[in-house]
Formats: sequence, structure tokens, C-alpha cells
Amino acid sequence: MASVKLEGITKRYEDVTAVDDMNLEIEDGEFVTFVGPSGCGKSTTMETIAGLTLPTEGTIEIGGRDVTDLPPKNRGISMVFQNIALFPHMDVYDNISFGLRLRKYDQEEVDRRVEEAADIVQLEGMMDRMPKEMSGGQRQRVAIARAIVRNPDAFLMDEPLANLDAELRVHMRTQLQRLHRELDTTIIYVTHDQAQAMTMSDRIAVINGGVLQQVAPPLECYNEPANRFVAGFIGSPAMNFLEGEATEGGFDSQYTQIDFDPETHGVTSGQDITAGVRPEDVFLEADARKATSPTKAFDAVVDVLEPMGKEMNAYLLFDRDVEASAEGRGEGQLLINLAPDTDIAEGDDIRIVMDRENVHLFDRASGDAITHSLE
Amino acid sequence: MSATDPPGGEPADEADPTAEMVEQAGLDEPDLDRGVIEAWAAKMITNPDRAYRATFYVATIFFLVTTLFPFYWLFVVAVTPRNNLSEVGVVLPAGFNPAAFIEIFTTLPFHRYVFNSFLIATIATVAVLLVGSLAGYVFGRLRFRGRNAMLLLVLVTSFFPPAAFFIPLNRLFNTNIDVLRPLISAGSLYNTPYAIFIPLSAIFLPLSIFILMTFYSQIPDGLEDAARVEGTTRIGALFRVIVPLSAPGVATAGVLTFISVYNEYFFSSLMTDGRPGNWAPMLEGILRFQGEFEVLYNLMAAASIIAVLPVAILVVVAQEKIVSGLTTGAVKE
Repeated sequence: MASVKLEGITKRYEDVTAVDDMNLEIEDGEFVTFVGPSGCGKSTTMETIAGLTLPTEGTIEIGGRDVTDLPPKNRGISMVFQNIALFPHMDVYDNISFGLRLRKYDQEEVDRRVEEAADIVQLEGMMDRMPKEMSGGQRQRVAIARAIVRNPDAFLMDEPLANLDAELRVHMRTQLQRLHRELDTTIIYVTHDQAQAMTMSDRIAVINGGVLQQVAPPLECYNEPANRFVAGFIGSPAMNFLEGEATEGGFDSQYTQIDFDPETHGVTSGQDITAGVRPEDVFLEADARKATSPTKAFDAVVDVLEPMGKEMNAYLLFDRDVEASAEGRGEGQLLINLAPDTDIAEGDDIRIVMDRENVHLFDRASGDAITHSLE
Repeated sequence: MSATDPPGGEPADEADPTAEMVEQAGLDEPDLDRGVIEAWAAKMITNPDRAYRATFYVATIFFLVTTLFPFYWLFVVAVTPRNNLSEVGVVLPAGFNPAAFIEIFTTLPFHRYVFNSFLIATIATVAVLLVGSLAGYVFGRLRFRGRNAMLLLVLVTSFFPPAAFFIPLNRLFNTNIDVLRPLISAGSLYNTPYAIFIPLSAIFLPLSIFILMTFYSQIPDGLEDAARVEGTTRIGALFRVIVPLSAPGVATAGVLTFISVYNEYFFSSLMTDGRPGNWAPMLEGILRFQGEFEVLYNLMAAASIIAVLPVAILVVVAQEKIVSGLTTGAVKE
């Protein structure tokens, strides 16, 4: 068990910067998830921690020890890979004990540890199977057993659930959380799936374009996103964004006006700003009392309804003239969550309100958050 | 072989007009008296499978005869008694005297020659696989500036005819090098196994590099990364994970190198003085059976057959490995 510290990590390939000046401290026993779109540098960051890639600049400390120039085997880490990476020519026992045997543990110790690890991931009685004879979930469990058997200081997991089917993925997600609770070891987890990041982590590190955007507990990333990228990336369905301008009396866009006092929220009149509101913070006018602080009502047209069972997604247009984009999230469009039994139909004219308490404002030029509530 | 295999799906609409044509011909000329060849040809047209099968057997038999008959004839020569050597039969030997298979070991220590060759070929194979693995790893799995240029250079060295290297190497190996004195009594490499396996390893190395490079480049990066995180160095990952998973490629490169070195003529005949104690290879042993006044063809033939055995055994063993490696890969991938 150990803390992990990244200081000014930069990784440049010939003409691209994959990771740019990353500073991050992960505490002992913490479960931190690197999340971001594909190609954002999260895997590269993990590879530099593992030692599979050397950073162009910066230092890495694991457990207070500078490991920047150490080979992977001397860093006290273990890793679970996206493509599982079991050695196909070895059976389960040999796969799990590979690292122990390399470190010349005596046979009894190896047997004991392998049995213990196999017990944790429920692999008893499969010791002489070959990887190819096992299902995806079993192989993943072998990979996890191989990672935990050495009692490493930190686990690195690079999209370990990406190649599993949906049902198994949810199951393994719970397993991993239980594993973290049992072992109480530092886990660094990489995923592009914000749902995995939200559910499992102590803290999320959101990365985009090689730059760390925000490091915070999941709910903080959700409720107080540091910038527009985080706001749009965390949460599903994603936040609605309205492009507009700050005025004397609040926010003014082509379709909506929201009243607030610019001064108390650090906005100057005339500033280009983007308002963000999550689908669950928009209500029908009839339900306005559900909002803590409803804005005044706007006209909208129901474009498409998506009943999801426990809720219903409604894609709205502010105006019948708005051209609906394919994703339904363009300018002049709004996605809201409604109760599944709401009595509306596609094509209806409706009136909606937003909950002022949960309207976020972002500076349009920098993307930085200005406020997370207009109360 | 595939050309002689009967094609699986002969299109039905093609068979129909042929049958019709034959029927038509039968109707137009009902009492045509066909010759043997014409009748045979007509049968082939109506039933193309027969033609394919016939060609298959002809080709197979031709192949087997051209490959195996020389062996058989070697045997015929070997058992021909010494007095009848001027009139060796083609199919049946002129007399039968298998004593040649024993004489080769009594008149000359032929086993020593075979042992020399076997040892030289084994050392060369190990050296080529070791160096070839390292080079194959670097060329197959790492990206670096100048990779293609270096690969081309490796390829170019294999373009030179081995004879081009002979004169300088022979001079070099005949030079007394004082540093080598404690290791080799004369201080020069001439009359040592090094004089044969060093140049031959170098000559056969490029081919092995290319074979191994291709195999090693196909092993997923994740496996190597996993091995390195688990506790190996890059070289450890190469020999514990990448090489075992490339077993068919390693076996191929190894067998090719072994056979080439074992059978090699040019350097083998010129880099020693031909005495078995001076590491002269198997080939020299065979040539030693021709004396000043007499060429003992029966002994040469017997020696040739004995000399083939180690390679034949190796190929049979390795072939099983290659095939099993290939099929496990096919089933398990």
C-alpha cells in the first residue's frame, strides 16, 4: 500500500503531446479513476506510472520513493490490462504465480498465495485450465488474481472491463469495489466510461487533450464541474448548454432569459457565457414547485420522446423553426427528464422552467466555471 | 498439390452442356469406332474428377520417385561388393555385401566426422537463434530511427555469395592471434570448429532474423507489458513469453539453420585440413573414401546414408513440433 504522486508529468511523442504537465497526488488506499474520451492521454499517464513508457519530463513517486527511472518490475505495482493479457501458453496456476516464481518465492509460499488470490476472485478448482478454455469473465478474474497475488503497493487497471459484455461488466464492477474494500490498496483505474468512474471511485481525475481538467470526488465533479468539458463529460444524459450573453439583469440567449444578479456571481455585463443545466433540473411549468427556485417559463415543442421505464427523456425544441440535429443536442434544443407517466405527446407545445439553483455558468472563451448556482 | 486436387464445387451448368455434347456426338456418329486413347479422353471429358485424380497420382509418383530413388540407388551402391563397383546395377545391386556400413567406421573414424558436423551445426543453430531472437525482437517490436536502414543492411549482407568472404576469412583465420593462444593451441582459428561455425552462422543469420522478426512482431504488446510488470526485464519477457509463443517460427528458423550448416560444402571443405581430430566435418569424411588409385563408391554411399540420419531424425522430431505448434495456434487463437 502506498501513495502515488505525479509531478509535472509530460509525455511528448514526435509531434504530439500526449500528456501535458500532469500533477496529481493519490493517497494511500484511494480508488482514483482516470476518465476522458479516447486518445485523451489517460492510458499514457497510466503507462508512465507503470514504467512501460518513460515520461519526457516530470517525476513519479510511489510510496514516497522516486520510481521515475525504475523498470516496471521494481515499482511495486501490478496491472490489469484491457485485453486481459494472460499468457496463453501457461495454465491458470502458472499465470497467477508467474510474478512470484520470478521473485524466487519458495514453493509453499507460492501455493499458499495463489490459493488465497484464487479464493478472493472465486477461481477454485480451475488451476490447470488454459486461458483459451475459459470465458471472458473467468479470464478477467485470473488477470485480477495475478495482480493481487503479489500484494503490490498499487494496482493499475487499464479499462479492465471494456472487453466484457454489459451484464458481466456490471457484475465485475461490484466485484472490483468489494475487492478494493477487502484489500484496501491504492487503485488507479482508467476508463472512458463515466458511469464506471462515477460508481467506483473515491475521486475522479477527468482528463482531456492530455490536460488534467478536474480531480474531485464523483459527486463534486457532477455538481460542481470545474469547466465546461467536465460538465459535459460527467453525467448521462449529458448537460444541456445554452450559448448567450450576460446582461444587466442576468443571462440572455436567443431562446431563454434567466434573471439573476450578475455582480453577486462574478459576471460582467456583456460577457459571453454559456449556461449549463442538467436534464433533471428542467421541469414542466405545472411541476414548477419541484424546483427550489424556478425561473420564469419558456415555450418549447416536444420533438422526440424516449421512455426509459423509470423515467422519460424528452428532446425539446425552443421553437418550431429550430432544425433538430441528429444527436438532438444542438443549439436551440434541450433534453429533459420527465416522470414516465407524464401526459405529453411528440409535437405538443409545452412550457418549461429551470431550477435556478442548479444552473451552471461557464465563461465561453476559457470554458471555466463561473458559478454552479444562480440562487 | 492444390492444383491437382479436384475442385470442390464444379459448377452444375458447366457439366450439363458437356454431357449434352457427348450425347449429341453419340447420336450423330452412333457406330464410331474409338481408339484406346480417344475412348480414354472421352471418359475424362465426361468425368473430370477422374482426370484430376489421375494427374494427382502422376504428380505424386513423379515427386516420390525423384526424391526417393536417389536414396534407393545410394543403398544399391552401398551394398555392391567392392569387386563389382565398375558394374553397379540401377535397380538391383550386382551382389550384396552390407559390410560397407561397418567398414566406413573401421577404415576411417567416420563417426568422428559426423560428430564434428553435428556439434558445429548445433552450436551454429544455438548462436543463430540467440542472436536472431534479439535482433528479431528489436526489428519486430521496437520503433526507432534508422530501423529500416539497418534492416536493409542485414538483408544486403545475405546477398553476397559466400565465396566472396572466403579469401579474407581464410587469411584471417590463418593469422596467429596472440590473444587466442591460451584458448586455442595454435593461436589461429584454422582447424578449429570456430572457423566453420562463425562464418556460417553469420551467413545464415539474416534469414533467421527475418523469420523471427515476423513471428515476434505478431505477439500482442499487452503480453510483453504484462510480463514486464509481473517482474521480467525486456529480455526476460522475450525468452519467457514471446519466444514460447513463437515456437513454430523458432523451430522453422532452427531447422533451416541446422540443415544448412550441416550440409554446407564450401567453408566446411576449406576451413580445416580434413583430419577428423582437426574438426573436419562429415563432408570431408565422405570425400576421404576416394583414394589415389581407387574411389570406394560403396563406402561413400554408405557414409552418405549414415550422414543423412541425424538430419532426418531432427526433421521428423521438429516437424511434429512445428505442426503441433501451428495447430494449437489455429485452435486456440
